[in-house]
Amino acid sequence: MRSVQSVFLALMKEWMRSKTGIFFSFLFPLMLLLIFGTVFGGTGSTTYMLHVQNFDVKNGEATELSKIFINVLDSIEIFEIKELDPSIDVNTYVKENPSFEYNYRILIIPEGFEQNTQGKSMSMRIGVMTDTFTYIEENFGSYMSESDLQTMAEGREELNEWTKLVPPSEGSELTFLADETDMSAMAVRSILESVVNAFNNQLIGVEEQTITITAESLVEKNMTATDYYLPGYIAAFIMTNGIMGATSVISELRRNGTVKRLAATPLPKSSWILSNVLQQTVLAFMLTAVMIIFARIIFGVSALPNLYALLLIFIGAVAFSSIGMILGGVIKDVEAANGAGSAIAFPMMFLSGAFWPLEMMPSYMQSIAKCLPLYYFHDGLRNIMILDNPSQAYVPFLVMGVLAAVFICIATKITKWKEL
Amino acid sequence: MPEKVVEVENLVKQYKTVTAVDRVSFDIYKGEVFSLVGPNGAGKTTTVEILECLRTPTSGSAKVLGFDLLNEEMEIKKRIGIMPQEFNAFERLTVKENVELIAKIYNVKPETKQVLEDLGLWEARNRQFHKLSGGMQRRVGVCMALISEPELLFLDEPTTGLDPHARRECWEVIRTLKKMGKTVFLTSHYMDEVGQLSDRAGVIVNGKLIVTNTVHDLISQHGGGIKVSVKGRKTKEAEKILQQFTKNVFHDTDIVTGKFKTRQEASKALAQLYQMGDGYRIEIIEPNMDDVFAQLAGHRVDERGELI
Repeated sequence: MRSVQSVFLALMKEWMRSKTGIFFSFLFPLMLLLIFGTVFGGTGSTTYMLHVQNFDVKNGEATELSKIFINVLDSIEIFEIKELDPSIDVNTYVKENPSFEYNYRILIIPEGFEQNTQGKSMSMRIGVMTDTFTYIEENFGSYMSESDLQTMAEGREELNEWTKLVPPSEGSELTFLADETDMSAMAVRSILESVVNAFNNQLIGVEEQTITITAESLVEKNMTATDYYLPGYIAAFIMTNGIMGATSVISELRRNGTVKRLAATPLPKSSWILSNVLQQTVLAFMLTAVMIIFARIIFGVSALPNLYALLLIFIGAVAFSSIGMILGGVIKDVEAANGAGSAIAFPMMFLSGAFWPLEMMPSYMQSIAKCLPLYYFHDGLRNIMILDNPSQAYVPFLVMGVLAAVFICIATKITKWKEL
Repeated sequence: MPEKVVEVENLVKQYKTVTAVDRVSFDIYKGEVFSLVGPNGAGKTTTVEILECLRTPTSGSAKVLGFDLLNEEMEIKKRIGIMPQEFNAFERLTVKENVELIAKIYNVKPETKQVLEDLGLWEARNRQFHKLSGGMQRRVGVCMALISEPELLFLDEPTTGLDPHARRECWEVIRTLKKMGKTVFLTSHYMDEVGQLSDRAGVIVNGKLIVTNTVHDLISQHGGGIKVSVKGRKTKEAEKILQQFTKNVFHDTDIVTGKFKTRQEASKALAQLYQMGDGYRIEIIEPNMDDVFAQLAGHRVDERGELI
């Protein structure tokens, strides 16, 4: 064991003093974490710029209703509202501001918005009431007394008189201008439509909703998207470090004769393999710590690995560094060994769905993902770290455990300690 | 007769198409520097690596320090110090770290300071291995071989690829080892090196050990005699004198050379040559290992170890 410790420390120092080693093991993963974390919604959510031009002005001031409407839009977080003065011609405005030319979104509130809306609303309310009378009469008339029916008929008469007093109105029409190539315009338009619907309901007096959607998450804690993907990133980079890192270290030490020098000492082959696996495992834990600290500082991620997570990380590090030892042990040429390492690690990294939801990929790709060890590694790690659900991780534990055992056996079998 | 530390008998290493080592037998005695000399690909490294337990022989047997090569591998490994061909250590570890790593593997208390001072590396102890010159790297290799205080050292082509200055440095190291009482097994394709450093040598070509003997005996038996050359104006006259004492006289444009089997014969010719007066120069060339190899193998070996 003393010799394992010494060789482990030697490998560790050798790694720490190598700039490329540090870069590929730590800086490269952190760079990717930063990129993916930002792209897949780490910090603040997206906002859409929306210009509003309000023509509904009375005595030089916007009408009450149009003000309320704009305030409601403004209160929606994803909108960034900018008001355009009615004197501006939107066509020239768009052309004069080249930055808006292809992603302008302008909502035009027409003149008479308040008056028309209120008029329409009034006639609709009356209509609803008349309809209600009719509905009651038709469905429940047979159960009603003669005098009640009489009262209802009178009431309806009165409403009809009222209707004549309300100026006729067709309601108001808002105009939404957007470039047809603007992908976000659709989203903005549908949000606008739902705002208008809610407004319509309010105006006709429907306060209570019959159907509501409550947004809830399965994850209890307050989590960001980066929280969700962090275990995937950690798993992916433990995998690349194991497969690519161990491969290049082993093949280089084999090429330059250091392995031969060690093989000539009384150091047993098993100690050599153990030292390498141990070094990769420590590296995996260091990487996990660095990624978590980094994600916490930059993205406010709160996930922490528990004992199960650490155990799975250990198993993963053993499995993937054993693959590295196999490649480094089989392929003689350093360049070819490194190439083989990348050829395995990179496709696995992207195919396994470590960086994005598996559901985003076509179903045949999902089947491929489920054949890759990395899938089980990141899936298990996510179940433990984020969903706090270690009982769901028994399949990943089983798969990774078996793979680790198989790979380390192959690595031991394949590593040459003679005839080097 | 001194104690045998290595006994090799009929060692064979057969690869698919080539026999790298072909029925090689020799002994190495305690305290001597033994060299295996031959061109590249002759089987030197294969032989050494079999004795270092880094390769398994196809057939034959050997005892190293009294232990059987096939059954007592770990006992042998514990007791020998090695420096492989084109030796390398952990590149970014310092001299001291590399040496002490080996000590820890052998589980010995390292006399690091002593060993590094003996080889003039104490000042460079904190320098990383890859930043050292080739000569210094080889010395680190020797330190790593010495740190476990082995009885027997294997140095496989310790000077190959070094510049002449570093080679001389390395020779001094090997002489130091001999003074320390170590037994050294050296391989080399530099004939002068073998002549300078070894007590005994074996000549190996194409996997076959042609001859093994003390360097002195090899030279006197296979060196091909003493050459006497005369350069200058009086070569015609000199040629006549040389021809009186030997049949082997060669004439070039302004140089004439006579080859003599013994020093006695040469001295007679020399006595007469010195009577000729001025205007010429006499050169006496004693045979060396180069000549031994040329005589035995029918070829010479160039600086890079290739047959010419």
